[in-house]
Amino acid sequence: MRAMREEERSRAPKPSFEDALAHADSLHNLARYLARNPADAEDLVQETYVHALRAWGELAPGSNVKAWLFRILRNAFISRRRREVRSPAPDPYDTTEPVGTGAAGDDTLRGDAELARLRGVVSTELEAAVLRLGPDARTAILLDLEGFSEAEVAEIVGCAVGTVKSRLSRARAALRAALADYRPEGSP
Amino acid sequence: MTCDETRLELLDHLRGRLDPAERRAMEAHLAECGACTAEARAEVALDDALRSLPRHPAPEALKRRLALLSGAPRRSAPPRRLVRLAAPALAASLALAVGGVVAWRGLAGRETAALAVEAVNDHLRVLASARPFEIESAGRHEVKPWFEGRLDFAPVVPAADGTELRLRGGAVGYVFDRKAAVIVYGLRRHAVTLLAFRAEGLPLPPEGPGSSLSRRSVRGFHAVLWRAGDLGYALVSDADEGELARLAEQLAEETRAVH
Repeated sequence: MRAMREEERSRAPKPSFEDALAHADSLHNLARYLARNPADAEDLVQETYVHALRAWGELAPGSNVKAWLFRILRNAFISRRRREVRSPAPDPYDTTEPVGTGAAGDDTLRGDAELARLRGVVSTELEAAVLRLGPDARTAILLDLEGFSEAEVAEIVGCAVGTVKSRLSRARAALRAALADYRPEGSP
Repeated sequence: MTCDETRLELLDHLRGRLDPAERRAMEAHLAECGACTAEARAEVALDDALRSLPRHPAPEALKRRLALLSGAPRRSAPPRRLVRLAAPALAASLALAVGGVVAWRGLAGRETAALAVEAVNDHLRVLASARPFEIESAGRHEVKPWFEGRLDFAPVVPAADGTELRLRGGAVGYVFDRKAAVIVYGLRRHAVTLLAFRAEGLPLPPEGPGSSLSRRSVRGFHAVLWRAGDLGYALVSDADEGELARLAEQLAEETRAVH
């Protein structure tokens, strides 16, 4: 989509490592949601920048540094999970069938109640619900929230744009289903 | 446009990614389909809710470590010892960072103060953390082995016999660019943190008799720093400064007895 023509790329300045450091907060945010604990999140971010520094020479002028860094971070997270001896429970999100594209029926009635709940959800409950999603679903939600386009996300996670679209929509359906059970405090 | 097609393209519509013809078809469908309109409202409400999702910016200590990576003179060869010990990525990060640390020399006084600030910040992180310990134990024979495999050095976990210090647990933290053992004690109602980290390149007082302990106070907290062989130690608390200094002398002796 935002593909630059070759001559534009070659004229674009080569990003500096300081430019890359400007994304530390965003990277740490994703790392924190992926790793689910502060120490591993910091390790992931540090590993990302060490890797980036080593591969800096391969970065073409005009490259999307932010997407590149997110890709490194996600790969680092995946290799870490593979290395972990304690193999975690299977990803609950990846094993479920697509949710919530059924026929209309009582959609409207259910919709009003869901809408009220979504509007009353507090940030801690939302965070807990996001953390309960599988890693792919968490990644989809957070990269979308970070403002990446579908094409950028496809580049980061290394899959087709169509896959990005369906993963995000399943992740959002799973999140809404989780939040549907949420009752604001003080409500009956 | 069918309901299924609408649901598939709905998010693209909300993100403004549809072309004008697709957008018109979407709007026409939404105008006549209550179910899809409800779905669109719920998706908007989810987006609104997600905007309040807590964000976790990088901690300042991490940013400082990252900045050190870039400032590192890359020509210097990494110390072989570190490379052998740690996973490649960690080794690279340490090697690069240690290079950066070398540049601090000559600022020893100010940097010792910075080190004390860092130690106090780590102490505060322990206090502020909901789960301050990764291992919770009163036995140093449990705490010490727990650090194995988590650190590329073996910290001494002092027994502090004959004092009022009571071991509570441990965790892995950071001091500047390097991993640190965080050993937490209780001293009556005060928390006392002992940090152990590689001393290489850090402005710690030289080991030896006399003034080999460095004392600093930061924002009402007291930090005592010393060197024991390859490792640096920092004892931090808001307990009485004199008492903390006496405890530090005993702990320093215990840590140096091993090296």
